[in-house]
Amino acid sequence: MRLIGGYNIPLEGKPEHGISVMPESDVLYLPLRSRRFTFDELSVKEGQRVNGGDILAKDTDNYGVPLLAPRAGRVRLKARDGHIVLEEVALLEERADMAEEKMEHIEQEMGAAGINRYKLLTLGAWQFFYDAYSGRLPDPLGTPQAIIVSTVSLEPFVVRGDVQLHKRLLNFTRGLEQLQSLLEYQPIYLVMPDIKSNLANLVRDQIRGYAWVKMLEIPLTYPYDDFGILARRLGLKRNKGPVWAVRTEGVLAADRALTMTKPCTVRIISIGGTGVQGPTHIKAVPGYPLEAIRYKYVLEPAARLINGGALTGEAVRDDTLGLDAECRGLTVIPELQEREFLGFARPGWDRSCYVPCYLSSLRKPFRERFTSGLRGEARPCVSCGYCDEVCPAGIMPSLIHKYLYRDLTEEADQARVDLCVECGLCSYVCPSKIDLRKQLIDAKDLIAKEKEEMRQEQLRQEEARKQEEARRQSEEKSE
Amino acid sequence: MKWLLKIVEAVRPTFEEGGKLRTFKPIFEALEHFLFSPSTRTLGAPHVRDPMDLKRFMSMAIISVVPCAFAALYFFGWRFLAMVVVSYAAGLTVEAAFAIVRKEGINEGFFVTGILFPLIMPPNLPLWMVGLGVAFGVLIGKELFGGTGRNVFNPALVGRCFLALAYPKAMSQSYIEPSGDLLGCLLFKWLPSGSGVDAVTVATPLSAAKGGVMASTSHMLLGSISGSAGETSAILIILGGVFLLFTRVANWRTVVSILGSFIILTAALIASGATKVGIDGLCGPVVWHLFAGGLLFGAFFMATDPVTSPTTNPGKWIYGMIIGTVTVLIRNFTGYVEGVTFAILLGNIIAPILDEAIIEVRIRRLRSEG
Ligand code: SF4
Ligand code: SF4
Repeated sequence: MRLIGGYNIPLEGKPEHGISVMPESDVLYLPLRSRRFTFDELSVKEGQRVNGGDILAKDTDNYGVPLLAPRAGRVRLKARDGHIVLEEVALLEERADMAEEKMEHIEQEMGAAGINRYKLLTLGAWQFFYDAYSGRLPDPLGTPQAIIVSTVSLEPFVVRGDVQLHKRLLNFTRGLEQLQSLLEYQPIYLVMPDIKSNLANLVRDQIRGYAWVKMLEIPLTYPYDDFGILARRLGLKRNKGPVWAVRTEGVLAADRALTMTKPCTVRIISIGGTGVQGPTHIKAVPGYPLEAIRYKYVLEPAARLINGGALTGEAVRDDTLGLDAECRGLTVIPELQEREFLGFARPGWDRSCYVPCYLSSLRKPFRERFTSGLRGEARPCVSCGYCDEVCPAGIMPSLIHKYLYRDLTEEADQARVDLCVECGLCSYVCPSKIDLRKQLIDAKDLIAKEKEEMRQEQLRQEEARKQEEARRQSEEKSE
Repeated sequence: MKWLLKIVEAVRPTFEEGGKLRTFKPIFEALEHFLFSPSTRTLGAPHVRDPMDLKRFMSMAIISVVPCAFAALYFFGWRFLAMVVVSYAAGLTVEAAFAIVRKEGINEGFFVTGILFPLIMPPNLPLWMVGLGVAFGVLIGKELFGGTGRNVFNPALVGRCFLALAYPKAMSQSYIEPSGDLLGCLLFKWLPSGSGVDAVTVATPLSAAKGGVMASTSHMLLGSISGSAGETSAILIILGGVFLLFTRVANWRTVVSILGSFIILTAALIASGATKVGIDGLCGPVVWHLFAGGLLFGAFFMATDPVTSPTTNPGKWIYGMIIGTVTVLIRNFTGYVEGVTFAILLGNIIAPILDEAIIEVRIRRLRSEG
């Protein structure tokens, strides 16, 4: 597939290249929920002392992916709702290695190949892996048809691949090698913004001889870095098995877990957006108090803190106290305060628009100070076609919207609502302010649920049929 | 403007649930949101939104016909302003009545119809007919379909079509000679001098051509000819039209395919001698035909209405070609002198069918993807 659609929204507050290290905090608040995970099985007791790298809880629905203690400290389970609180935090020596006898046990159970996957999972590297089609956590014991490695992050604003790669090129290429060791002959696709850049050349020099790494260049247009889009761009077919996808941080984590057998706890995340003072990257551990970050970086009191980017991130709820285990960036957007007089009639020199309907289209592209305003009234679709044009998945959001409006779920399914990668651009551009992304996601979920129910129903019928047959046979026999 | 906002806030309770004037809430809201951009915030991702809203979208369409409106004022007098006022008043009444009944907001779409309609009317049409036509267009052409966004036909064209069928005589006799003065009618002339209250009816270039009288192309370029109020000045229509294409409110594919197919077909007809024009050569007559009547206005401002044209790009190409072709056919082979209105209305009917066919193909292609 060709890359189509896409748009870079010109949001002010792009994080700088540098990384600043947050001072250690003596309390950490580890949320038990993140985007993909719900850590429902606790592995520690109230008041227990833990070391950095110990498993605090697991998500049983996601192959037991663990929540690691980023630092040593004392566990408090009931102190805050929905969090594991770590008190008396100290930066002790991390657990250097896994227990020998345990390793042997695993080797017996899963074989040598299983060990690496076990390490990835328990040392916290597996949570950086995604299934390219569904975005969910892939089965660590599965065999992918390919791995997509992307060094590109285009959503405003999540952590940039080049920042993470800085000075860690060696770890990166070593990580690629480690990934390869998980595969047999399947290819690894390395996605870069410019495969002729210095960085790409360095990588190429380092991995020379590894024929299994194929480079793919993509333009820096949001959301071409989306794994679903990349998989389609690469022509990988769904029915040929899962496609694993990782970003830079995932490769670095794989290197850390497999080469050094160390837990992956420290994260580099971005902090950007209109409401941020000195947008930059920060190095912090999961559980780091959001209050401290807010205090240091957020300018306005009435600002929305978003976990993730401005287009797909989720607003951080008031009762969330610390960085969650999956956070890739924080975006801060001031809440809309003032109502403009004759807003729609202004020339709009300071307004960046998808279509050139403001005077600013005579200006060079610039970043706008966005707020959380919806900037218009909800209206029926006027078929302007902007959403269809901007959609990177090649589906027609306006059409699906019309189907859903009339409750035609079947048709929406036919129109491949499942290909939507949830990038949010359709909602962003819609002049009628229709929340297309949400409608499409809801429809996707509904259809998936219906299909699952249908499958279950079929299974049940099949089962009943078999039982019936067995009964009849035994009856015949007894006769 | 704080004080104004305060007033708005102060009177709001009267229009809310339980207030005395709650029936008129849509009208209050329309006014409020016209004055002050709404205070709504995004609820979830995406947390920021493009500044473009439907008001801006429609404003662009209105701005693009402002040159034509000035031309109408210049050539046909201040009576045109009265037509605009009547058009807005009548149309808004219908629109507001429906908004109140449906308890929905008043839709910006009407503001475009309200200005487009008088522009495609003969300049001396009785004002009550203007009002009747626009009311009919909005009621039958739009509201009965469920309002802006759900209509099949362009409301302004429905109104015009209605008048052309119901009052053909009045329609064809309301064309007048444009002002020949340097300042036109700018100095507050109700009608161009020479055409008093019982103004002399003048044939439009197309109907005159049937009688063998050819208007000069340069006059048609500037607009100093007889015709519908806003349709005469080719240069201003092109100016506004190009602006509209630049803003991407109108889609260039529609315009290019209408004009392209029109030019090619007309050229073919002229070259083969199937149609006779009183000008020699090929280029000259083609340009003459292009400028004559409502073709340019229809192609730029009417056919591009996103609601009533196809949504898919291939659909737009075919739609444009149908309109261009049908216009040529009506103009040359039927008793009607002007075919654009019917051609576009026909295109409007076909648009959903085109879309359906193309979507079908697209979905089949999507389905094959794993
Ligand atoms: S339909 Fe899905 S993939 Fe397409 S623009 Fe909208 S959110 Fe993005
Ligand atoms: S952007 Fe909005 S108004 Fe335009 S076609 Fe899509 S849904 Fe309709």
